[in-house]
Amino acid sequence: MEKSFVLSKGDFPKFLERLKGFGTVYAPVKVSDQSFAYKPVEYEQDIAFESLRTILPPKKFLYPQRETLFSYDEAGNITEPETNQPLVIFGSHPCDLSGMKVLDTIFTAPPGDSLYIERRRHILVVGMSCLPDKYCFCESMGTDSVQDGYDIFLTDIEDHYFVEIATPKGAEVFRDNDFLIVASEPYKQAFKDFWHNRKELFSNRFETSNLPALLDLEQDNPVWEELGQKCLSCGNCTFVCPTCYCFDIVEIANFNGSGQREREWDSCQFHGFGKVAGNNNFRPGPIDRLKFWYRHKLHGFQDAYEFPTCVGCGRCTVSCPSEIDDIVGVVVRLEGRTDRKSIYAKEDAL
Amino acid sequence: MISPNSTHTPNPYLPSKAVLRTIFEMAEDNYLFQFTVDPSTIGRCLPGQFLEVWIPGVGECPISVCSDSMDGLIELCVHKTGRVTDALFKMKEGDWLGLRGPYGTGYPVDKMEGRNVILVAGGLGIAPIRALLQFILHRRERFGDLIVAYGMRHSLDLLFRHEMTALYSRTDMHLFIGAEEVNVPEIPPIHAQLGRVTDMLRMAQYDDSYIAAVCGPPVMYPFVIKELKARNVAEENIFLSLERHMKCAIGKCGHCFVGGVYTCKTGPVFPLTDLRFIPEVVECVNC
Repeated sequence: MEKSFVLSKGDFPKFLERLKGFGTVYAPVKVSDQSFAYKPVEYEQDIAFESLRTILPPKKFLYPQRETLFSYDEAGNITEPETNQPLVIFGSHPCDLSGMKVLDTIFTAPPGDSLYIERRRHILVVGMSCLPDKYCFCESMGTDSVQDGYDIFLTDIEDHYFVEIATPKGAEVFRDNDFLIVASEPYKQAFKDFWHNRKELFSNRFETSNLPALLDLEQDNPVWEELGQKCLSCGNCTFVCPTCYCFDIVEIANFNGSGQREREWDSCQFHGFGKVAGNNNFRPGPIDRLKFWYRHKLHGFQDAYEFPTCVGCGRCTVSCPSEIDDIVGVVVRLEGRTDRKSIYAKEDAL
Repeated sequence: MISPNSTHTPNPYLPSKAVLRTIFEMAEDNYLFQFTVDPSTIGRCLPGQFLEVWIPGVGECPISVCSDSMDGLIELCVHKTGRVTDALFKMKEGDWLGLRGPYGTGYPVDKMEGRNVILVAGGLGIAPIRALLQFILHRRERFGDLIVAYGMRHSLDLLFRHEMTALYSRTDMHLFIGAEEVNVPEIPPIHAQLGRVTDMLRMAQYDDSYIAAVCGPPVMYPFVIKELKARNVAEENIFLSLERHMKCAIGKCGHCFVGGVYTCKTGPVFPLTDLRFIPEVVECVNC
């Protein structure tokens, strides 16, 4: 776009109405004292603008936890799933937008996944700026700001939102509007200041330039055994991850011979994930599986698609019941440095 | 970004119907299934590639193609070992099921042309090796000397018995069959040595001019690689097939991800040189 714009916070309801015209709007909503989740919203006051990380990332819209690949009747005639309703994902932060780009890469790689691609076409993404907490490390992963992967991006500059429009779909939302203002110099400065100052706020950081080599070198580091011993193989880390995309394909059969083929989220942390015929298991223990996950996030994907899949959102760190998913802490330990306290350490502990 | 105007992508998970034409019992729990397929939906299968076999109401599993391409016909050699294969063994001639594929990168037949070739199979690993063997025999003049070493636990486990018996009489190849236990008499009688596949490799005459295609259980690989290397077969000329449970077979579901590659797309056949850098596989190929 040639021009940059601002939207007065007072005009937000008008903008929300426009979004609702595109499809159901899903935004972070406070669901408990500490947690937020994407839910359908009607009014501005439904939206938890303060939300930093929702329990599940927006991948649940692009790639639902369970979906039908095709159905079949008694005679074996196949029906493909119906097309999708349009929807708006509102308020995704840069880490989650980067996560969606990773999913796009995987599911569009030939042969493309038609179900994902069709659904993605019906989604409008409105990104939103944020300020990091102690778990965020997107700045280290290079995913703290994004130039694409959204239709509209809002940066919170006090009583206005600085508006970036990245796609024709995003521009369509603002067609013939009376509330978008062309950004004047002070707003532009406020926008630049926001992103400049935000960089300084990250306390959770590490050196990422040499990650693949580090993971290769430290294949046998005792840290894997120590963490693996504590791992419950619950799979939390993978389900909350914006880029974990593994799935299982299951048969849902009816008594009359009809049924569905469905896919559902799977986790490499589950015991059966690496199993092959004859009950052979390539990753039988939690140590193997945890190491596999770390490697996949920080190294393995680099080989396949030339970028790591961790986006630094901190969800795994926060949701791990065994407190072993402090990714930054683990990498620092692999580097042989002892100067960093575990992120799980209680701040006021003796 | 996914453009709203991009062209329609077909659903990659849809199977196409295949009719079970013949079932042949080769050994206990090992049957050969021959299917008729529509060649416009299941394309030409190269040796080492696999199909996803879907039985409605039961599920899907990946199976290696064990025949060279024939118009509208595909053969699968299956060991009864799980839910889907159990159901397959209960099917009758004339029944239908779903197939999709072929998937994966098979043995490098182009690279093998004009070269001496040694094929090494352990147990059920004979299935993709038999596809490669048929491929070579159908185009025999394009390949150099040919050796087949085939090992199994018990001589009763021998698969493709009639074909193997016939192959012994060919003068344009050398066949070595070995079993750790040999039962006599068997019908038809076959000349099987007492010993492992590595013992068969020691009997064969080959050198660094050979290119090797290997398929068998992972425990077999380090020993076979050691034998091949003892005869100076170069690492880049040793091709191994890896077993993983490919659920989607199109590089999405993650079940077959090892190191940085999807076994279903980059493999299942890899040159030894590539496997060196894949953790989890290293232990079984390092020697």
